[in-house]
Amino acid sequence: MNNNFAIEVNNLTVSYSKKPALKGIDLKIPHGKIVGIIGPNGAGKSTLIKGMLGLIPLDSGEIKVFGKSLKENFPRISYIPQRESFDWDFPVVVQDVVMMGRYPHLKLFQKISDEDKAKVKAALQKVDMLEYAERQIRLLSGGQQQRIFIARALAQESDILFLDEPFVGIDAATETTIFAIMRKLKSEGKTILVVHHDLGRVTDYFDLVILINQRLIAYGKTSEKFNRDNLIKTYGGRLTILDKTEQLRSQTIN
Amino acid sequence: MELIYKIFIEPFQYEFMQRAMLASVIVGITCGLVGTFIMLRRLSLIGDALAHAVLPGVIIGFIIAGKGQLAMFIGAVFSGLVTSLLIGFVSRNSKIKEDTAIGVVFTGFFALGVLMVSQLKHVHIDLSSYLFGDILGVSSDDLVLSGLIAILVFVTVIIFYRQLLVTSFDPTMAAVMGLSTGLVHYLLMGLLSMTIVASLQSVGVILVVAMLITPAATAYLLTDRLHKMLIYSVMIGIFTATVGLFFSYHFNFASGASMVIFGMLIFLFTLIFSPTQGILSRYIKKRKIAEKNLAQDALKNLFKNCIDHHQLKIIREVIDISDLKNLLGSRGKKFKKALANLKKEDLISIEGDQIRITEKGKSFALRLIRSHRLWETYLNHETNMNLDIIHSSAEELEHLLTDELLDEIDLELGFPKFDPHGSPIPQKN
Repeated sequence: MNNNFAIEVNNLTVSYSKKPALKGIDLKIPHGKIVGIIGPNGAGKSTLIKGMLGLIPLDSGEIKVFGKSLKENFPRISYIPQRESFDWDFPVVVQDVVMMGRYPHLKLFQKISDEDKAKVKAALQKVDMLEYAERQIRLLSGGQQQRIFIARALAQESDILFLDEPFVGIDAATETTIFAIMRKLKSEGKTILVVHHDLGRVTDYFDLVILINQRLIAYGKTSEKFNRDNLIKTYGGRLTILDKTEQLRSQTIN
Repeated sequence: MELIYKIFIEPFQYEFMQRAMLASVIVGITCGLVGTFIMLRRLSLIGDALAHAVLPGVIIGFIIAGKGQLAMFIGAVFSGLVTSLLIGFVSRNSKIKEDTAIGVVFTGFFALGVLMVSQLKHVHIDLSSYLFGDILGVSSDDLVLSGLIAILVFVTVIIFYRQLLVTSFDPTMAAVMGLSTGLVHYLLMGLLSMTIVASLQSVGVILVVAMLITPAATAYLLTDRLHKMLIYSVMIGIFTATVGLFFSYHFNFASGASMVIFGMLIFLFTLIFSPTQGILSRYIKKRKIAEKNLAQDALKNLFKNCIDHHQLKIIREVIDISDLKNLLGSRGKKFKKALANLKKEDLISIEGDQIRITEKGKSFALRLIRSHRLWETYLNHETNMNLDIIHSSAEELEHLLTDELLDEIDLELGFPKFDPHGSPIPQKN
């Protein structure tokens, strides 16, 4: 088995009620990279992640993680969903959420050990959230909420992280903080896949980009593949409007 | 003493009352535990549906095995699982949403049960006690069955606590870690069906959902941790059921209704008086903040009157209380309280009918003015709002902005010296 890649996707096809959502996607994602998944709304960005994680039935395709099947790698993968998909009033405090990262390593009757607790503490420290350990999650800001889910992935000691739109509804300063954490994780050899829809900072953020719109438009080094031609292919006529709104946005920010 | 004896002790000379007491405790435990997860997973409607839908199962159990507890138990669990599978099947395989599927399936099952009761004359089932519960008629066999169910529910919740937590809070993570959310769901549905059986004799089909949801909802208002919520929910469930039982005994109320009404009263009481999330404590907190803001406004006004606006230099150390009252628009009691608050914080000292700002008060007031003016500058810089709106927003936010945030704004604006009105912005320290 080829074990040079963190994730290999062969001919992934997914459809929702007969309409194809993703068609024939092939990807080989190496270790220790930050990878952006870019495309317009409805392009199948989240579907691609969910397909890779085995969360939705595939029409065809094969996913290999570290050269093995998904099933053999459950504890090594973590997924951070979009923030709005949570019930923030749920009766859990920050450390409860991060402790969930230890669950994949615990057997049915196995008790939570001091080691697990230490790992949770270390993870919280790493994202600078230790002082909030006892706080209910509703009382956190958007950026803090995002950080505790990253801490959960750290406590899990997973090697691959999937983040679905982590920067939505977060201010620029927090976005920078979160990105700094991601970069640190990368330096520890983790592979990070990020669904991203803001074209503005793609070149700063990602080593590799996946440009999709139902099919794979381009995949490779950001410096090579993230260019006008490929963006037009991905976004079609919509790019001009996106260009304009992007300009407007940067005008209001700066 | 005699009254207490009459109310709480005397009833237990009767064996049926002893059994009823035990049955109430069992209902409290099982409903409290299962109800917590039912509520958090927003399955209240399913709880009600399954309670109704176990009827045909119970009757089929009777027909096959005669009037035996085990037959009733197996029939009910089977019926409950079939119902929840069917609800899942309908909502997954058509555009029908889950609540609609619940409505269609459970009424159908319940009607089937009613039909069976009316047609099968030789099956002797007392429909009214099935519907409304009759806790004083609990038999020893009923108790044994309910007790076993309670133990099973308790042990299952403890063993599968982590699985139940993660599938309830973050089903996607559960799936990513290879946990079958479907399996956990049907495990819970199994527990729910058993809980319903254990509660049938005490509260009846119609009201069992209240015993599931109300104690859990009350507990939810009291804590932010799941394990505590489970404990509270059980304690509230037991309390509700037993007090309901006493009412039922002394006033001859229907036992189920009596429990449920008492449970609702506890819920309403908690909704108002919960120390962290109650309506009352939130109101008090809000008022405290308003009081604090008024005190700070008073200080700021006081300070404004004692300094030279353009140089931020102190020109007067003291001011008459009556002058400040006029400045703020006299607010009687509130004003006195604001002054008292300021004094307590050591921000001012009161000498006769004159107020003197302390050193601590001076730096605090400067900070407030800095906060106000920086925020105005920031808003003016970032938006096109008119200056009036900006001012009122700053009036509100000057009390809330933290030092770090102020520094950040200051940095982002490039350390401005004046606000949009041309007044100087006090520098840090």
